[in-house]
Amino acid sequence: MADLLLQQLLNWIVLGSIYALIAVGFSLLFGVLNIIHFSHGDVSFVAPFVALGAVQVMVASLPVAATPGILLLCILLALLLTGILGVVLEVLVIRRFRNAPAMMALVATVALGIVLRELIRHLYPNGSNPHPFPRFVSGEIAIGGVNVSLFAVVAVVCSVAAVVGLFALLNHTRLGLHIRAVSQDRDAARLMSISPTRIFRATFFVASAIGAVGAVFFAGYANLIRFDFSIDVGLIGFSAAVLGGLGSMAGAIVGSLLIAGLDTFVQAVVPNGASYRLVFVFLLVIAVLVFKPAGLFGRTVVEKV
Amino acid sequence: MSTQSISTASAGAFSVSGLMIVVASELAGAAFLREFLLAEDWRYVVALLAAFGVALVVMQSVPAIERRIENAFAAQRRAATIVAVLLVFAFPFALGGNTYALHLCVIAQLYAVLALALNFQLGSANIPNFATGASYGIGAYASALLALNFGVSFWLALPAAAIVATLSGFLLGLPSMRTRDSYLALVTIAFGVVVHQLLNNLEFTGGPNGLVGIPVPELFGHSFASPLVIFGVQLPSQANFYYLSAVLVAISILFAGRLHNSRVGLAWNALRADDLAARCQGINTTWYKVLAFAVDAFLAGFAGTIYAFYVGYISPDNFTFLVSVTIMTMVIAGGMDNILGVIVGAFLLTLLPEKLRAFSDYRILFFGVTVIAFLMIRPQGIFPQRLRRYGGH
Repeated sequence: MADLLLQQLLNWIVLGSIYALIAVGFSLLFGVLNIIHFSHGDVSFVAPFVALGAVQVMVASLPVAATPGILLLCILLALLLTGILGVVLEVLVIRRFRNAPAMMALVATVALGIVLRELIRHLYPNGSNPHPFPRFVSGEIAIGGVNVSLFAVVAVVCSVAAVVGLFALLNHTRLGLHIRAVSQDRDAARLMSISPTRIFRATFFVASAIGAVGAVFFAGYANLIRFDFSIDVGLIGFSAAVLGGLGSMAGAIVGSLLIAGLDTFVQAVVPNGASYRLVFVFLLVIAVLVFKPAGLFGRTVVEKV
Repeated sequence: MSTQSISTASAGAFSVSGLMIVVASELAGAAFLREFLLAEDWRYVVALLAAFGVALVVMQSVPAIERRIENAFAAQRRAATIVAVLLVFAFPFALGGNTYALHLCVIAQLYAVLALALNFQLGSANIPNFATGASYGIGAYASALLALNFGVSFWLALPAAAIVATLSGFLLGLPSMRTRDSYLALVTIAFGVVVHQLLNNLEFTGGPNGLVGIPVPELFGHSFASPLVIFGVQLPSQANFYYLSAVLVAISILFAGRLHNSRVGLAWNALRADDLAARCQGINTTWYKVLAFAVDAFLAGFAGTIYAFYVGYISPDNFTFLVSVTIMTMVIAGGMDNILGVIVGAFLLTLLPEKLRAFSDYRILFFGVTVIAFLMIRPQGIFPQRLRRYGGH
């Protein structure tokens, strides 16, 4: 019983950290740009495909085997490329919707997500089918006398490290200071000789790369990757960010843990829970937003006349 | 005295040429649609699209043309309506019994109703709603379940489904009252996902397989599955549903026009301009927001019922989040709060993927690219919002 409980607890934390890595990107981008980048999840899920493709190319062309080390190298490459992809999309598409009505940017990025998914489907060999995704660590480790999978532990540790790194970046570096300045007041930041355009690109790079970490771990967790994984996970990441309050990093993390908790709980306890998990998750989203219309940690905007 | 006679003379000349402009532009529109529907070669389709684009560019660069056409329509409203009704009536005859083209017309008209429904919210009041697809689905399932389980006829199921959909619209509107912008968008997305997941998993909705064998409607003993004979010309069976959905579109346009010119439409526009200022003017913003949700769901419920009985088979995949996004795009790309623009947007976005079958697998990709390109090139939509006109002319 304790075994099972610990296993579920670990599942919850792994899933929660993965969602959080996607959700902080949504929140960060919204805080800085003031638009919803709905295709953020789809950008993030390009990473597992890049990593998988890179491994296959390397194994085919170089005299190396697909060792965990090679896989790790390819994943790092994928994170870098995904970050760059985020910047490219900002320059090509999203930039043009900065001053447009919010709904237009939302619809445009939804369409952008469709384009990204379809591109993966067509450009990746056999892209419509699921592909097995290797875990770069395997085996089990004993915690408190219970064996748990090493991958889960690594996923949680890496996610925590990534989030701590993001907080450090935002709070203790010059770039972070600039990002916060632009998100508070774009025009005042410009007066302080900070170029918002450059900060937008930097934010896109950081958010996409962190989302990519989440996507790679999700693929490892599921042991599988398919082009349309990003629909559900992207939507859940977005919901987590909104639940916590857009623009709040802590809120995004709490939102992710809440959603992952309900997700795990429903799957474990409710009969036939796996097919109803999204129903429960999104009912939770509606319920929270009814009582906290600006999310859990969002600033309630009070208009003064 | 002499100036008056001159002015009446010029007004007379104006109305004759105005009538010609109205008839010519409506005929051109119908002819364009016919060519587009019947085009087989993808190069021809692309050429037609390019012609459409050129027409838009010309209209944008020479506003006088656009204003001239607009004034002509405003002056000749009755004639414009009569010609339009005649054209819609005659259109199936011009398709030469092409059932596929007629089928596309039916679907496009249903989407036009959905887009008009969403336009009350998104266009008039600027309330995002990503759950129109869900209301469409609720309407379709409600009527199909009534017909399959209780043998209710189409004509009774139609209002019943609309009532069920309206109630669900109220249900969605209630939690939406407190939230705004992105938060409101998420509530509607969440509602859409919940409805889709429930349809997909519940026993009585048939799960992922959906509902099959929805009976064909009948009117005065004429089954809608049999060919329609008008003036001795036999039209394919799709023509029944063509006329039915055309009537629904006409009712929706009438409905939209009446609402737009009523206090409700004005209140919605006030909400769009400034929520707080509207409240200060004594407008019950909460009530009008919920009303917008209910009106959207009401019309979507009608469209859903006709779809269910037309196709005879519905599954949850007909009512996904993507459907709602497509309807949103129709309104935005067509032109918010512009009835003609929304209908053109609906036709364009329904027909475009079908006409791109030459690109078979790449259709969805192409669709996404087109939407983004549209939003980037003409952000105000094909036919932008018009200012309200007061006074006679």
